[in-house]
Amino acid sequence: MSTQDKVTINKLPTGVPGLDEIVGGGLPEFSFNIIAGAPGSGKTTLAHQIVFANASPERPALYFTVLGESAIKMLRYQQQYTFFDPAKLSGSIRFINLSQVVLEKDLGAVLEEITKEVEKANPAVVVVDSFRTMVLKPQSDMDLQSFIQRLALFLASWQATTFLIGEYAEEELRDNPIFTVADGLFWLRQTAERNSIVRKLQIVKLRGQDSVPGLHTFRITDAGVQAFSRTFGLTARKRKPPCDRRLSFGVPELDKMLDGGVREGDSVLIAGSSGTGKSVLATQFIAEGIRQGEPGIVAVFEERPEAYTERATSLGLDLETPQKDGKLTILYLRPLDLSVDETMQSILDAVQKIGAKRLVIDSLAGFEMALSPGFRADFRESLYRMIFALTGIGVTILSTVEVDESFTEFPFSTYSISFLCDDILRLRYVSIDGQLRKIMVVIKMRGGNHAKDIREYEITSKGVVILGKRLTDYQGLISGVPMHSNRSDQRNEPSQ
Amino acid sequence: MTAPPEIRDLARRLLVYEAAVDKTSETVESVTLRVYEKLRQSLGVFAGVACFQSLAFRALTQAKSEAPDLWAARVAEDGSLQGLGEFEPQADMVKDNAGEYPAGEGGIALIARLLNLLFVFLGEALTLSLLRNAWPGATFDDRSSENRRKS
Repeated sequence: MSTQDKVTINKLPTGVPGLDEIVGGGLPEFSFNIIAGAPGSGKTTLAHQIVFANASPERPALYFTVLGESAIKMLRYQQQYTFFDPAKLSGSIRFINLSQVVLEKDLGAVLEEITKEVEKANPAVVVVDSFRTMVLKPQSDMDLQSFIQRLALFLASWQATTFLIGEYAEEELRDNPIFTVADGLFWLRQTAERNSIVRKLQIVKLRGQDSVPGLHTFRITDAGVQAFSRTFGLTARKRKPPCDRRLSFGVPELDKMLDGGVREGDSVLIAGSSGTGKSVLATQFIAEGIRQGEPGIVAVFEERPEAYTERATSLGLDLETPQKDGKLTILYLRPLDLSVDETMQSILDAVQKIGAKRLVIDSLAGFEMALSPGFRADFRESLYRMIFALTGIGVTILSTVEVDESFTEFPFSTYSISFLCDDILRLRYVSIDGQLRKIMVVIKMRGGNHAKDIREYEITSKGVVILGKRLTDYQGLISGVPMHSNRSDQRNEPSQ
Repeated sequence: MTAPPEIRDLARRLLVYEAAVDKTSETVESVTLRVYEKLRQSLGVFAGVACFQSLAFRALTQAKSEAPDLWAARVAEDGSLQGLGEFEPQADMVKDNAGEYPAGEGGIALIARLLNLLFVFLGEALTLSLLRNAWPGATFDDRSSENRRKS
């Protein structure tokens, strides 16, 4: 069968930011879906968003409420969300309560009632909330599977996209005939981790569509449900082919050490202890990008954007003008209770908004601390996904990381994230001739012939300045306590 | 304490509208009962019989405190209103002056109390949407625009 012979499945918008991408572009039209999860997991809110996004006077939505939540109270709360448009209630959305039928009659009568209303309204979307309460009713003359099958068949024939909402526990997922009938199964989870609530969404099943697998973080705010795809919505974007273009740091000697600069689309890590100039180098990197017409994003966690801008000014770098011109965004992210995916989504939104070419994350330690404890376990994995997604579209990422200064070891980072980086630049203090000086070395540069030199540098009013030639007179520089190559010279050399 | 004046005004307008609409009909039901029934039908489908019944019971209890002539009225299990005809002027009795006072004080109090509960629980927009569904031909301004017009 050729592509043109195949039936086209239209996709309906979910009305939930981020969810369309997760379900593979939208909800399959005429599909029969189950939204499952424990009480309070956001099922009803999700269903309302879908309904409000799709209902129209021509193809309305029918929202059947059964036992459980009172329709009046449900609407009292649901109308607090910004997606709730009261104008749609006259003609586009109808709420129908089936509790009396359920209480007094059987599943057959429920099916009959739904059938009657669907025939009358010709709806595009039908929701039954919560069908689980109806299913638990004993002494039904129609068995549950038969009811679900007939309902699914009828609603599909009437070209309605259907959502049954049910309270289910994880263990019920297996061997449940209802889930077999459904085309789509959306599972919402809510767990408490330490002092934070972590909400996750999983598309357990979605026939005919390539949904993004795995658990996706979601949040319920005033705007309703917002989902954060594990792929950050960048799956549809083509990866940019590797590029040999070099980006300058704005520090000529450092560019030389990097064989002409950082390769475009690389992920660069600057590791060093406090005060070694990681943020200064990062600022120079972003300022140089702006000077060359490359918009940039700086995500800061440990200082406010104003302070960051002021510090740049003290180095002779103007970050204020590009911010006004829309060429630079400094994001201050100290959300505390956010998930890593939400935080990364903020960064991605900013990157896409201004078409950023350079991104600075200052610092990874601050980033991790800003997350709720429950999400810190996902930090490395999420960071990997974001770096992969962003570098894939040609954004060059520079991250700073603080490492504990040790005079016996030379760690690249405390996060074991060096595998995420194409290039690693290590800054450290060394004790030389009674002074605490600073050295830098390029540890790694993927696909580049970088300098092996250990160079001394200073932080001046012009930023990082690399001094002289490589340090040839000392051994064991990376230990932090080097020995002069010539011990007699060391004894006689006056201190500087 | 009665329902807010603007809601009492809305109740009065509903009763007047209903009286005018059915002016030619031969029904012997009171206007209050007809308005109540339309609300029952509309809200019953939307929120269920039990939900309407409990709201109506509360509204009637409140209304009785301000209109003693409702003493005989009661809300049945299915939400219908019973015992109202004993005090309420019937439609055919008010046909000639339906525009002015189609219902007694008890009727206005009951409908106003019911509407007030809907405003409290559902808010203005949803309640008016419900009323528009029940009375498709009627015009319902929101309270704020009503107030603006008055000022």
